[in-house]
Amino acid sequence: MSGARAIATVWRRYFAVYEKNFWFGIVTTFVEPLLYLVSFGVGVGGLVGALTTEGISLTYRQFVFAGIVGQTMLFQGFFEAAYGGFVRMYYQKVFQAIAVTPVTMSEVLWGELLWDASKATFASTAVVLIGVLAGDFRPFGALIALPFVFAGSLLFAAMGLLTAARSATIDEISYPQFLLIFPMFLFCGVFFPLDQMPTILQGVAWLLPLTPAISVLRSLTLGFPLKPLAVIAVLLWTAILVKTARRAMRDRLVK
Amino acid sequence: MNHPLVVEALVKDYRVKGQAAFRAVADISFSVAEGECFGLLGPNGAGKSTSMQCITGFYPPTSGRVTILGHDVHADPRQARNALGVCHQEDTLDTDFTVFDQLVRHASFFGIGEKEAGRKATELLERFDLTAKAGVLVEALSGGMRRRLQVARALIADPKLLVLDEPTTGLDPEARRTLWSIITGFRQTGGAVLLSTHYMDEAERLCDRIAIIHRGRILDCAPPPELICRHIGVSEIDEEIRPGVRWKRPPNLEDVYLKLTGLSLADDESEEAGEEAGDAS
Repeated sequence: MSGARAIATVWRRYFAVYEKNFWFGIVTTFVEPLLYLVSFGVGVGGLVGALTTEGISLTYRQFVFAGIVGQTMLFQGFFEAAYGGFVRMYYQKVFQAIAVTPVTMSEVLWGELLWDASKATFASTAVVLIGVLAGDFRPFGALIALPFVFAGSLLFAAMGLLTAARSATIDEISYPQFLLIFPMFLFCGVFFPLDQMPTILQGVAWLLPLTPAISVLRSLTLGFPLKPLAVIAVLLWTAILVKTARRAMRDRLVK
Repeated sequence: MNHPLVVEALVKDYRVKGQAAFRAVADISFSVAEGECFGLLGPNGAGKSTSMQCITGFYPPTSGRVTILGHDVHADPRQARNALGVCHQEDTLDTDFTVFDQLVRHASFFGIGEKEAGRKATELLERFDLTAKAGVLVEALSGGMRRRLQVARALIADPKLLVLDEPTTGLDPEARRTLWSIITGFRQTGGAVLLSTHYMDEAERLCDRIAIIHRGRILDCAPPPELICRHIGVSEIDEEIRPGVRWKRPPNLEDVYLKLTGLSLADDESEEAGEEAGDAS
């Protein structure tokens, strides 16, 4: 068994749970982004109509649909890895049980992260698809956005796994949830263009990973000018967080 | 011919913040032969579990070497653990799956396909008297059944070495006996067993050889009758168990332990404190 195959068997364990609880999976993966799409895209979109930002005019629905792709990556990736990962590590001891078989701890943690990222990618891809079908996204750009959606999903999954590794109890996950995830959700450009905020807050927003992620998504799906620095920022955040999360979880379990 | 398990000069230190490292396992060596049951006997905190974690390749040792059928479990975990079955001290059953499905899932980590795994799972559930529970979730099982399932899961890939960390702790007498007969059955097929326990009767009954472990060191290692003969000598112990009540009984391993360490098996406070410090780091 090669490393890649070992990781695949771990991923398959997660997918088997997902498959088994099919409707649970469907509801928890797809309902939330759909509710945001309808509420903000149709509801608020009807109220606001059109807007102009960075010199580009578009409907609010177009604007917010792209933001919701990012928000879906954030929530689905983070929560699956943070709460799901904590339960698997602490209560179910899934990592401990698998890491004494021919599969190693390193492979177990890759499987965990890739699964969390996959689940977030399923949900985000559904949003992208709806954006295309609604005629709001550029189809080719949307297609190119998909690998990027996976990278972003991995970023926030790693943030979740890092949280799980560093939380002594499941309740402690609330700290990053309220102090980092919710602020990103509200202030990193999901619902309104960043230029609505004071310059200093814009600067802070750019220091958080959701801002560059959404910036790239808007470039690909809506034709905003692509900021190469934003792409680099997302990839760098992903690399650093994946490395840190894996090390933190390993250090917690393996003495 | 490679032994199912060879442990050579195993040392394990835990890092403790702001203090010198705590040595949980201090240079232990032993090997387990085919069909043999080898016991690590000692109180909580003696270093049994830490040794087990190093032997299964979960914790990297500070120094020393562990080989399973000639494969170094740390350098080549994939090969080494192909022949290893582990039953952890704590419950590590996967509560997301039914009894049957979790055997199949566990087999996949050994590269065993679903069809073959299903056949093996059916056979194991039959052998462990769990067939009636095949379709239920783990949560619906009693403590004894859960432990039985955990051993069944450890056997799914036909291991040559079975590692059992305090397998009967918390079980009622009947469940303990069932588990003992399962262990005997495994040995009859040539399987080697490494067992840790703090139960005297269990160690005496199951183990061909016992290592008495204390503060991370093996104090002595021999078949149980030999240990008793060597350290106690007499064939009968006469003690006052209650004021005015005397009791004559044959000597047992607990007497050996007491003699070797000056401590009873129930309490070794200093070591437990040490291990907790290790866990907290």
